[in-house]
Amino acid sequence: MLLILAATIASAAALSITAPKALVLSSDGSQLRSESLVNPPSTPITLHSTDTLKLTFTVQEKDQGVRPHQTFLRFYDADSGEEGIQPVRVSASGKAKFDLNMARPPLSLPPTTDKPIHVSLILGSFTHPPAKIYLFDLVLPESQPPPQHPDEASFHVLPEIQHTFRPEQKVPPKAISAFFAGLVVSPWLVLITLYSSVPQKLTHIGSPNILGFITLLAAFETLLLWYWVDLRLGQVLLYGALLGSLTVAAGNRALSSVAKWRVGK
Amino acid sequence: MRLLASLAAAILALVAAAGAASSTGSSVLVVLEPELDKRKFSTFFGGLEKRGYELTFRAPRDATPLVIEDDVPKFSNVIVFAPSTKSFAPDLLPQSLVNLLSHNVNAIFTLSTAQTPLTSLASEFSLIIPPPHTPLISHFPKRSLPPTTIPITPPTSHSILTSNLPPILFKGIPHALGTNPFLVPILKAPEESFATDSDSDSGADALVDAADKGGEGLWAGSSMGVVTGFQAHGGARALWVGGVDVFSDEFAKTEVSKGVKSGNAVFCQDIAKWAFQESLVLRIDSTTHNHVNVTHDADNVPTQYTTNDMITYTTYISKWDPESRRWTPYSGINDLQLEFTMLDPHIRTALPAVRGTPGKYEVTFRAPDRHGVFKFVVDYKRKGWTHLHSAITVPVVPPRHDGYPRFLSAAWPYYAGAISTSVGFVLFSALWLAGDAVSEKARGKKKLE
Repeated sequence: MLLILAATIASAAALSITAPKALVLSSDGSQLRSESLVNPPSTPITLHSTDTLKLTFTVQEKDQGVRPHQTFLRFYDADSGEEGIQPVRVSASGKAKFDLNMARPPLSLPPTTDKPIHVSLILGSFTHPPAKIYLFDLVLPESQPPPQHPDEASFHVLPEIQHTFRPEQKVPPKAISAFFAGLVVSPWLVLITLYSSVPQKLTHIGSPNILGFITLLAAFETLLLWYWVDLRLGQVLLYGALLGSLTVAAGNRALSSVAKWRVGK
Repeated sequence: MRLLASLAAAILALVAAAGAASSTGSSVLVVLEPELDKRKFSTFFGGLEKRGYELTFRAPRDATPLVIEDDVPKFSNVIVFAPSTKSFAPDLLPQSLVNLLSHNVNAIFTLSTAQTPLTSLASEFSLIIPPPHTPLISHFPKRSLPPTTIPITPPTSHSILTSNLPPILFKGIPHALGTNPFLVPILKAPEESFATDSDSDSGADALVDAADKGGEGLWAGSSMGVVTGFQAHGGARALWVGGVDVFSDEFAKTEVSKGVKSGNAVFCQDIAKWAFQESLVLRIDSTTHNHVNVTHDADNVPTQYTTNDMITYTTYISKWDPESRRWTPYSGINDLQLEFTMLDPHIRTALPAVRGTPGKYEVTFRAPDRHGVFKFVVDYKRKGWTHLHSAITVPVVPPRHDGYPRFLSAAWPYYAGAISTSVGFVLFSALWLAGDAVSEKARGKKKLE
């Protein structure tokens, strides 16, 4: 059976088409373009959204009209890879006719961009060798892009996102800060000037009680300065408690010495 | 002496059976329907056994060996060569097979023109099957083989298939591919092929009528697939083949053109390699993160970051090497991305491979100035490769009271004021304590006068 089939195919001539013709009509019936497709046309055939393309040809095998099993028009977009297959109705004598009305496009039309689609004819038969014939390029109005699965984007590189940070805080110029710092410190000059004219004698400055207490007081202030720069709360409270108790004791002694001097040694 | 010899033999056998080239396991259950003869597929099964797989054969209606028992899979891979079986044992029903995939068991399914439970299972994988009894036929190329046996030229370069394979003989049904991105198209139908039940030229009218009917219409063209893979989320892979004859010895031996044998033998081993998780298998070995310029140490990972910190994230990725049967570090991924996410990605940046250290991918970035609980998310999905997922949660806290910029130049007047207050206090105490009090006698003297 297979051998008979093979013999039949081997002896038969290949399928071919005669008188292929493409006609482009506008919506009011006037003819916009008429091409014979024996050779592919030099420019693509353009269809607008209200035009109709009428394609006619006859399938033949050795000058005899024949109806093959498969007469398909293949629309193929080489850029996007989209493809559409449309069967063409062929009469028993081999005459084929196909209408492409852009007002009601067939479902087999692939999604289109502004690039031309290659249109070719596929002829296949159980009894004749097959044939594939390139007909013409077609430019159709752009369609919606093919539907995409919502997860499709996560299978490709996603756009980079960069965080816009808050702008750095603007600091006023150092000259102004220095000037106002100087302004703040300026009363010291007044104080020193005025004090130098006060006739005070520091008679007891050398006394160890007084000196000790003043040193501890200065140390306490230094501790506060150190806390500002470096220390943590727990540490400053610990040191402060120690230093503070010492300072209080020293202060008591200092005051009692002052009292003694006031009463008169 | 004999004991030693038998011991040596036992150890050798253990080493030999140490594992197949698959990264998930070497046990394969072949569900072979009684109409098919195991010896007709000796090329395919022999190739699998040579690569270390242990095949166990079973008929679809047999009760044992069970493929899954008490929710524990007993085999790592399943091949279902039961294209026309209409009833299966309970543990091979479609629901059970889907459950297997979620347990990281790989599967190969074959279909045929008959309608079986597998046909409805295929639609769960976003594959649309044509009506029953419509095989794929192609009148191209002109050949001595029947129209239902179609030589398909595989793509010249495909990540799964060996390059430059000779045409592959196929007989069976096509399927339309849904838009599901988990599908991995491996072999598409030739552009001149179509599915039909007619077997003579007089069926031409029926073809045109089928297309005019609308709906699914005519099954034709290269948008149909013939062999398609499915990469499930958990790592398991399923392979759908439109006909069981692709694996047969007869097709492997047939010549597609003068002196050129078909590529079926190599093709079947290639797709089995992908399906059984030998090729294109990746895994994340470890991920760490730390402050920039601090050596990454698994025990020393910070528990939280501050806003605006510079963070370095490192991940180590390996690929399974079926030749050496080991996970080897792999630096070939050039589009890996890291997302730093709190509900929405705040930062998405490329994660490039580090030169000099194979398998290491590293990026340094600045934490956003928003505080909250963030995640380092690596979510890498590409067609054909295993999916890589990693999510590490890390809090990002606002700066501590002493983390803000300090000692600003704008505050100099205030520093000057505070310090001069302290200095003034100490000076005043010193002067007051050290100085003389005005004597009572001098005061009294003044009053008297």
